[in-house]
Amino acid sequence: MYLTDARGILIKGNKTYSQVSGDVLRPLEAKTPRWWLVATFISSLAIAWGIYSIYVTISTGIGTWGINNNVGWGWGIINFVWWIGIGHAGTAFSIFLFILRQKWRTSINRAAEAMTVVAVICAGMYPLLHMGRVWDAFFILPYPNTRGPLWDNFNSPLFWDVVAISTYLMASAVFWYIGMIPDLAAVRERATSKIKKAVYSILSFGWVGTAKAWLRYETAAILLGGLAAPLVVSVHSVVSMDFATSVMPGWHTTIFPPYFVVGAIFSGFGMVLTLMILVRKIFHYEDYVTERHVDAIARILTFISLIMGTAYATELFMAWYAGGEYEMFTFMKNRATGDYALAFWTMITCNAIIPQLFWFKKIRHNLIIVFIISLFINLGMWFERYVIVVTSMSKDFLPASWAQYKPTITEIGIFVGTLGIFALGVLLFFRYIPMISIHEVKAIIKPTTETNSRKHE
Amino acid sequence: MSKINIIGVYSDEDVFADAVQKIKDSGIVIKNVFMPFPVHRVFHILGLETRLPVMTFIYGVIGVGITFAFLFWTSVVNYPLKFGGKPLNSLSFIIIMFVMTIFVATLLTFMTFFIRQKIGPGKKAVMIDPRSIDDKFLIVIGKDPSMKKEEIDRITSLIKQTGAEEINERPEPEDFKEEND
Repeated sequence: MYLTDARGILIKGNKTYSQVSGDVLRPLEAKTPRWWLVATFISSLAIAWGIYSIYVTISTGIGTWGINNNVGWGWGIINFVWWIGIGHAGTAFSIFLFILRQKWRTSINRAAEAMTVVAVICAGMYPLLHMGRVWDAFFILPYPNTRGPLWDNFNSPLFWDVVAISTYLMASAVFWYIGMIPDLAAVRERATSKIKKAVYSILSFGWVGTAKAWLRYETAAILLGGLAAPLVVSVHSVVSMDFATSVMPGWHTTIFPPYFVVGAIFSGFGMVLTLMILVRKIFHYEDYVTERHVDAIARILTFISLIMGTAYATELFMAWYAGGEYEMFTFMKNRATGDYALAFWTMITCNAIIPQLFWFKKIRHNLIIVFIISLFINLGMWFERYVIVVTSMSKDFLPASWAQYKPTITEIGIFVGTLGIFALGVLLFFRYIPMISIHEVKAIIKPTTETNSRKHE
Repeated sequence: MSKINIIGVYSDEDVFADAVQKIKDSGIVIKNVFMPFPVHRVFHILGLETRLPVMTFIYGVIGVGITFAFLFWTSVVNYPLKFGGKPLNSLSFIIIMFVMTIFVATLLTFMTFFIRQKIGPGKKAVMIDPRSIDDKFLIVIGKDPSMKKEEIDRITSLIKQTGAEEINERPEPEDFKEEND
């Protein structure tokens, strides 16, 4: 029992090294498939709508959004937090598992990192647009100015956010790119057309793969991973402090930083699952992303879902146990029952209850159900941010100033636009970049297929 | 006159690593090895080391130092302004210092890697054998004009013995650059 490897064979089909390169690079070398063109067209339409909505927001003003004096944060901040959460996929997935030396990550990490970079770009747009006067966005940077110089408020979580998210974008992009260099060199060597060879030659930085280069490369990768791992925790902690350092009932809680970090990893893994099930089907990567990979992600999600459930329960319990009048109202009368009960229970069902189905092996191995559950997780995590942002703001301390919030078509347009950006980014990635880390997969083939026989020796 | 190399081509990672060990033990100088993916044993056998972690640590220290200096200067020296009754030199600076440490260390580590390795956009890749990026492992041994025939025979037979699939003798590409240590 102790000799059997928990994960079994990671790459099926007794692949040779050359076959791995061939399989992974096939979509890059094949003719552009029709579905890809259609999907690109649809996502471009979404982006066009998004750009129009951004134009309306900038030219007319932030009044085109549904936010008001009370509910100052609407879809803008909900979607910002949602995208940042999804952006935790790459780092959480590839960096945590990388540092833990989990070999099964190799077929999935590249796609997860690509998702991260695109999702963080989507997220970054929202605070900028929310400023209203986008052209004054540089005010947030601490630069010597003629107003004193009056510097930023370095004690403000909103400023921490700027620092944390730009660092996160840089670090995840750097980690992603450095991971791709040897694989881009593989594309370069196999390229037949002159243009392709020239482009990938530039992208691959003249990589040839000597021993010293590999040593430095691996050291750099682990260092960057080690640096980015605490960032995964800090980014969403800082995002949560945007809420938690205020005095709003429902926001002013100490549970927020870990609760947000776990939630982010939850939604990130959910999106990884959604995407990888599609990828394995469309590109016939069943040998690389096996049922065991899906199974492993599903198990992690089950566990995180339990933490999410505990967090929700803790919030309700603390509201009751502490006996604060406003907390009680927000949690019991405004969330669990009342105007926002539907959103609240959607959140509970999608995040804490439905993923518990993953306890059953039959469900974990039925990819259609797994796919549907992963969509529910994405939806549930969106509703979590909706519940947090809107309920606390719409009914605060003074009933005379209560206000309702409904998104306008402009806000919806921007959200659809970012969905389009995400989809387009991922589509471009599928078409032009090796979506499975070739050199890492090659390195695990021999050790993992022979694990069992070696252990018995 | 270009240099001539003797190249042993292997296709299995373990055979290759054993071969590197044997050839090194026999006192033959291995000029370079090429791998499609990193085989960690080879690093140890060839005694390769990198000081990159030390540099990253130094970058981190620089990052945290500069950030604190900046925060202190702006908030305490240049324009002291009370925010919400907090002290001017606030404990909450830690958050920005933490993140900026990572920022500086990540960016400079990334750049150091490319500068030390002397690779970057626009650098031409000069391959000894293009298959080494796909599925072949190469051991490259420099052939000195002063080498005697017996010596060359010893090298080739050792490469053969250790399980090489091919032994090629090829002039080194003109623009191939030696790596620094």
